[in-house]
Amino acid sequence: MAPILLWLVMVLCLLISVVKYLMGLILKFSFPTANIQKDYTWHPTVSVLLPCYNEGETVYQTIESISKSNYPTELFEVIAQDDCSADDSFQWMIKAQRDFTNIRIRTGRNPANCGKARTVCNALQHSDSEIIISIDSDCIFHPNAIRELTACFAEPRIGSVGGRVGVRNPNDSVITAIQTIIYYSAFQLYKVPENWTRSVCCISGCLFAIRRDLLLEIEPAIRARHWFGIPVNQGEDRFLTHQTLLRGYGTYINNDALCWTTVPNTLSVLFKQQLRWRRSIVRDLFYTLRTLPQHVWKLHPNTVLTLVLTPVGAIVALLVIVTMLTSDPLAWTGPMPLLAYLGIAAALSWVISKYSVEETLEHPLAFGAYIAWSIVSTLFITPLALFTMDSADWGTRTKTQEVPLGNTSA
Amino acid sequence: MATPALNTLSQSVTAAPPPRQSFLYKSIITLYRVFAIVVLYAVLLGILAYAFIMGFYAINTTWAAPVIISASDEKSLDFLQKLVTSKQMLEDLHVDSLHQQTTLDEMTKHLASLEALDPELQGAIVRERAHDRLTGPQLAALDTQKQADNIKTQAVLTQLQQLESSINKDLAAGLITKSDAATQLAALNQSRDAYTDSRIAQVLLTDSVLDKTTNGTKSLDILDKQAELRFEIAQLDVTLAVSEKQLQEDNRQIDRLRDAIATAKQSPYYLNATGDNRLYFAFVAYDNQASAKVGAPIYDCYLDMVLCRKVGTVKQIFLGEQDITHPIFKTQVRGFTIQMELSHPNSAKSKTVFLGSKPLLF
Repeated sequence: MAPILLWLVMVLCLLISVVKYLMGLILKFSFPTANIQKDYTWHPTVSVLLPCYNEGETVYQTIESISKSNYPTELFEVIAQDDCSADDSFQWMIKAQRDFTNIRIRTGRNPANCGKARTVCNALQHSDSEIIISIDSDCIFHPNAIRELTACFAEPRIGSVGGRVGVRNPNDSVITAIQTIIYYSAFQLYKVPENWTRSVCCISGCLFAIRRDLLLEIEPAIRARHWFGIPVNQGEDRFLTHQTLLRGYGTYINNDALCWTTVPNTLSVLFKQQLRWRRSIVRDLFYTLRTLPQHVWKLHPNTVLTLVLTPVGAIVALLVIVTMLTSDPLAWTGPMPLLAYLGIAAALSWVISKYSVEETLEHPLAFGAYIAWSIVSTLFITPLALFTMDSADWGTRTKTQEVPLGNTSA
Repeated sequence: MATPALNTLSQSVTAAPPPRQSFLYKSIITLYRVFAIVVLYAVLLGILAYAFIMGFYAINTTWAAPVIISASDEKSLDFLQKLVTSKQMLEDLHVDSLHQQTTLDEMTKHLASLEALDPELQGAIVRERAHDRLTGPQLAALDTQKQADNIKTQAVLTQLQQLESSINKDLAAGLITKSDAATQLAALNQSRDAYTDSRIAQVLLTDSVLDKTTNGTKSLDILDKQAELRFEIAQLDVTLAVSEKQLQEDNRQIDRLRDAIATAKQSPYYLNATGDNRLYFAFVAYDNQASAKVGAPIYDCYLDMVLCRKVGTVKQIFLGEQDITHPIFKTQVRGFTIQMELSHPNSAKSKTVFLGSKPLLF
């Protein structure tokens, strides 16, 4: 009975994913209402918050890319906040401040390391703009990015807007090639049905725009996040999106607002990144389940389903894989999964090469390795995430000095 | 914001005070961590054990998978049903064969008698023809002579009419008595009778001559019968040949069935279904064939590979191919069945046993 139930839940999750991808395809080309009505004439003031930790020279490049923005320079500023980096990140921020004088850049430093979420909140203290854009300090932004993001806020019920995250290093390795396809399909297909109902469940923290008032309203909740007394500093993007939805606002991803990130190119870094993401997904599930009636009452069914079934799917997939490996260990070695993945990779690679030339893949068939990664990810990352929920480790930033989160003196 | 400027933020943001964990939270976190450590180590051990088992069974060539065959097992029942059907077919074929053999013997005898009749008939015809050839001309000569005699006799009889008239005249004249006249007239009639008989004999003689000198209907009847006889012999020959072939085929079929039944009786399903005692079997993959030898020791192990003990020996090897699902990999594997002599019957319920030696030396 139990295995059948597992399979049923798994099939349901997969079915919903497939339906979402298919719907994304249909909506993208057939339903104009799936896209938001943008108003490029509305020019609110904007603060770009740039939390930074151990990014080194990359933060300089990030600020450089923002300085090339085509948004009116008098209407936006950059607030770069260093989270006590152990490297020379802060010096690079200062250098950028000196070099890019065409825009207003303010720099600051936390008195103690306190993580990305709280660094964003700290930076927010210095802003009085209408729109806040929180970005990752390792991303490169398209000149149109700010303009595209703010144009979406013309729709009053929109609370948060995200951009599309492209991959800067698609051909570094098999791992980056896989991520390129995943990122592209997630933004261009998977999130389109969520866009349609203005209820995107997770806007990437790489490029996250939010109304200032709303962020100020959520800020105390961000600062108060904890896991049985241990401050939570991961998954602030998912949390912010979730909170936006719960406060009755809409969320949207504008694929024309582009930024480029360097994705992990080694297994260990990817593993750590995915572990962090999985933790935030599980944490989000716990939060959703704890306040399920509120969710069901307030949110669009599509949103509730996505909020519940995405993490449940990850947990059930673990049980399904364990059941599969013990009942039919060699099932995954058949040619069908590989052929299916290769078919998807071939199709998406062609689309990417046509519509996002920068991300063109040299070896799209490397996506076949995603089967192995799926098994590793499901088998190891999910249980590890479930049992390391108290971890505050960001995972993908080199640290030369350990600073216990929340337990440091200034 | 109009003037871009080098602007460093004030340090107004102070470090957040360390959050105070309540005793309850601290306890929950401690329990969670202990539980997490236990679970994660268990997961790690599980994964390592799983990987080891997979690797072990990928390279091990001594494992066998015990199979419990029940008498009411579908395969056993099917097997027994087929065996019964085969036996019935064998019996039917045997009876048919005996019947055919008897018929064949009868037909052979009949053929022999027909074949013996044919030369006799032929001899009789030849003899008769030779005789006819000899007696035909003689009878023809006699016939001619008889005709001449009859003509002469007829002339004499003409004269007898005059004599009869003179007798009647003499009687009327009273020259002779009635008695004498009657005697004389009777003698005359006797002569006429003799003549008539002679004419009849002549006609019959002519017929006989005709029979002996020409092919009449009688001889044609005999030839017809000879042809019929030969046709019957030929037909019987054909029937005999067909019947002999049929009999040979039936006998071959009987031999084949007997072989099949003999082989089937060596099958574990038959032994299991007909044996009085509980029998134990195991499946051996072809890759592990070298380990399956009659008399080889059988080991049963804990966790499918360690702390092994001897639980019996290989009693018999059945060469018929079997197809089963690999007990670990769950793939289809080809192999054969062995019969085990088990001192520990519970080992028949183990997932795997090992033939020849302990798999990990302990």
